[in-house]
Amino acid sequence: MVALVVKRFGFMVFTMIVVSLILFLLLETELTGDPAIRVLGQFSNEEQREMWREQHGYNQPVALRYVKWLGNFATGELGESIRFKGPVADVMLPRLWNTAILGFWTFAIMIPLSLTLGVLSGMKEGSKLDRTISVFGIITTSIPEFASAVFFSALFVFGLKWLPGTSSMSSGFDFKQLILPAMVLIVYDFGYVARMTRASMAEVMTSQYIRTAVLKGLPYRSVILKHALRNALIAPFTVIMLQINWLLSGVIVVEFFFAYKGFGALILEASLNNDIALLEACAMVAVCVAVTTQTIADIGYTFLNPRIRFS
Amino acid sequence: MTTEKKDPTNQKVHPGVEHMKTALSEGRCSRREFLRTTTLLGVSATAAYSLASKILGKEILPDIVSSAEASGHMKGGVIKFGMQVQEMADPATYSWTQKSIVARHIVEYLVETGPDNITRPGLATRWEASDDLKTWTFHLRKGVKWSNGDDFIADDVVFNFTRWLDPKTGSSNLGLFDAMLEETGKKDKKGKPIKRMIKNAVQKVDKHTVRLNLKSPVLSIPENLYNYPTAIVHRDFEKEGGDLSKNPVGTGPYTLTEFRVGELAVLKKRNAPYWGGDVSLDEIRFIDLGEDAGAYLAAIASQQVDGIYNLDLTTLEAAKAIPGIKVVEIPSTQTGVIRMKVNKKPFTDRRVRRAVQLTCDAQRQLDVAHRGLGVVAEHHHVATIHPEYFKLKPFKRNIAKAKKLLAEAGYPNGIDLTCNIGNAEGVWEQDSVAVLKEDAAKAGINIKMNVMPQAQYWDVWTKAPLSLTSWTHRPLAVMVLGLAYRTGVPWNESSYANPEFDAALTAAESTFNVEDRRVKMEKVEQILQDDAVLVQPFFRAVFTAVRDNVKGFEMHPTRYYRFHKVTVG
Repeated sequence: MVALVVKRFGFMVFTMIVVSLILFLLLETELTGDPAIRVLGQFSNEEQREMWREQHGYNQPVALRYVKWLGNFATGELGESIRFKGPVADVMLPRLWNTAILGFWTFAIMIPLSLTLGVLSGMKEGSKLDRTISVFGIITTSIPEFASAVFFSALFVFGLKWLPGTSSMSSGFDFKQLILPAMVLIVYDFGYVARMTRASMAEVMTSQYIRTAVLKGLPYRSVILKHALRNALIAPFTVIMLQINWLLSGVIVVEFFFAYKGFGALILEASLNNDIALLEACAMVAVCVAVTTQTIADIGYTFLNPRIRFS
Repeated sequence: MTTEKKDPTNQKVHPGVEHMKTALSEGRCSRREFLRTTTLLGVSATAAYSLASKILGKEILPDIVSSAEASGHMKGGVIKFGMQVQEMADPATYSWTQKSIVARHIVEYLVETGPDNITRPGLATRWEASDDLKTWTFHLRKGVKWSNGDDFIADDVVFNFTRWLDPKTGSSNLGLFDAMLEETGKKDKKGKPIKRMIKNAVQKVDKHTVRLNLKSPVLSIPENLYNYPTAIVHRDFEKEGGDLSKNPVGTGPYTLTEFRVGELAVLKKRNAPYWGGDVSLDEIRFIDLGEDAGAYLAAIASQQVDGIYNLDLTTLEAAKAIPGIKVVEIPSTQTGVIRMKVNKKPFTDRRVRRAVQLTCDAQRQLDVAHRGLGVVAEHHHVATIHPEYFKLKPFKRNIAKAKKLLAEAGYPNGIDLTCNIGNAEGVWEQDSVAVLKEDAAKAGINIKMNVMPQAQYWDVWTKAPLSLTSWTHRPLAVMVLGLAYRTGVPWNESSYANPEFDAALTAAESTFNVEDRRVKMEKVEQILQDDAVLVQPFFRAVFTAVRDNVKGFEMHPTRYYRFHKVTVG
């Protein structure tokens, strides 16, 4: 068990180093254009660019710069954001927190909903209920966020006038402003998780031991709750962990559309405005979340799955 | 003429003012035209309004004041305005209008170019230029106080000029006041000469008078002084940290009380008398809604904001359909210019250029590509709202003549062209070329459209044989013509080189008096139109949306919004 955790952890660090190297090569070297121009803009003069390079140590060898850069990153020294004129951490953390709030409410509704529907539909494959849930789930999942955002906005903001059109929360937290962005995310994602749960449930339902349980006369209810669920929920667990990862990038469209001040909108803003330090930090955070959730999913899977045991 | 007709702030009154007075009293010109021309001739706005009131025998108030009056002097209130909130530390280095809109209520300018494109006094009450336009004297307003209690004096202005013209500051004002710079003799890595301010280029005459000494004539000094990075900051700006958002010292009626980049900026009315008279709003809240045009529309539709910075052309129809929202528009000199590079085949032949130009249906262009919002142009980049605009003979579309010219140039069976488009200012750019494509096809000119990303477009904008470039609003026609069509200048994207045109333009540029300059513009416009350097279908109107409860909001051709006279019901 310890070996697995160490191995997974080592792999995590390795992935992050590889990504950091790619990031560095893309953004900090002349491989894709002069970083001085990227930061100062194409109308800057050579004098300003030279001054900037001098100030930020861009005249040093690339390898040395990379090691320093990585060191700064590891010690939490994320640099200054050009666009926000302040430390990257100060800009990024509140945004990350906002996305966490959005993510929390999205998951709080989406997970129980999709698990319930998935189990219901997987219990009797091919039943009317299963067909209904499946078709509905496929439809919502196949509509991209930018389309459903427009649709919900047209319906609830412009048509019924029930909800505010944007979610900038400029006068403090307002739950009403959270509804539309969360709704778009839930509608898009629940179908997918429900389908995964359904598949897993359906598979379990066809297995020998469930048939045995049914045949030996156990009430249907306890067959489902005591025997089927535990096995059926192993696969959805991994899927749900991966949804956290999806959410971090998936929110870009939603946050942009509803002007929600979250992490996704920040990534977009950083990249549209060539805010290198901010972009690097955001990318590293996203990678960090991705590998962490993956590791948790892997380790958690071994706990949940009784067939994998380290003795 | 009696002395009462003299404007108290000006020594000489232009004879044109007398013509205008006669014209107004005889009903040959409108009130608006009268105000516009007389102020251009050097009469102060206040004096012009009182003259008009006298002649017409009823009180004429500036439009903005009248609409505030109409709203019944609503005092106080808070306006919420949807606009990107960007860092705004140093006004001299601003590169976005949005930053200056927040700052404009804290720090102010020496002059103010109004929504009508006329430049009026601001922190300077009046100004004079020498006949050679090389010496400019600005008389500063007395009794203006900074928010920290200091008096506003000449030292403040000298400090600002010195700072703008120091290359280390990194201000784009360096380009505006190039006539105040000299070469140091040193060169940068790319061999470009390093410049510095000429000693004594800005001179304090007395406590309230500043003189600018230029090495070459510049006509547009007052207009340049309302360009958004030229706000006047306190003389201790740098000593006190050089960050307006942290230390908002200014002469304006508001101060910054809350500021979060990308989220929110809050301006609160200062508790001190303001030199410009009373302002209504207690608080102005700028709310950042990101970059999606749809979000701005959704916010104004659900009453989260009372107004927005920009209404996108793509959301215009939707906005019009929503009750409670009004679209405000104003003509500007922003435009899309389909220019032909005169040193690249086939445009080396004037007949080919002329043929393309002759196929253009300007009105249809305006209606289709820009929903009719704007005015048709005449292929010489001078707009009717430019003070020195001269009306040439109407330009007529002529397909038969275009065909004939094309045949003469050696293309009897038509010609294939490719036009680059960057959509830098919106999809209307591509629509404009699409309309030209349809029209030109009738004369056998087949235009292939090459739409590219904006960033990529700016890499090739001066290189491609045929492309559409967006030019921004400039208050004087000579400003844009000098930048875009004079021989050898960096932004001359068509490589146009005509000594006759250059000479005519120089003659116009060195004429201070607008009426006299207008006469000289005939030649300038005619040469440019005849040489067929550009197809210019229309000048765009700029527009945005506010809610019905907002009164006195003035649209501005460069979106330099001011909320001084705005009230919210």
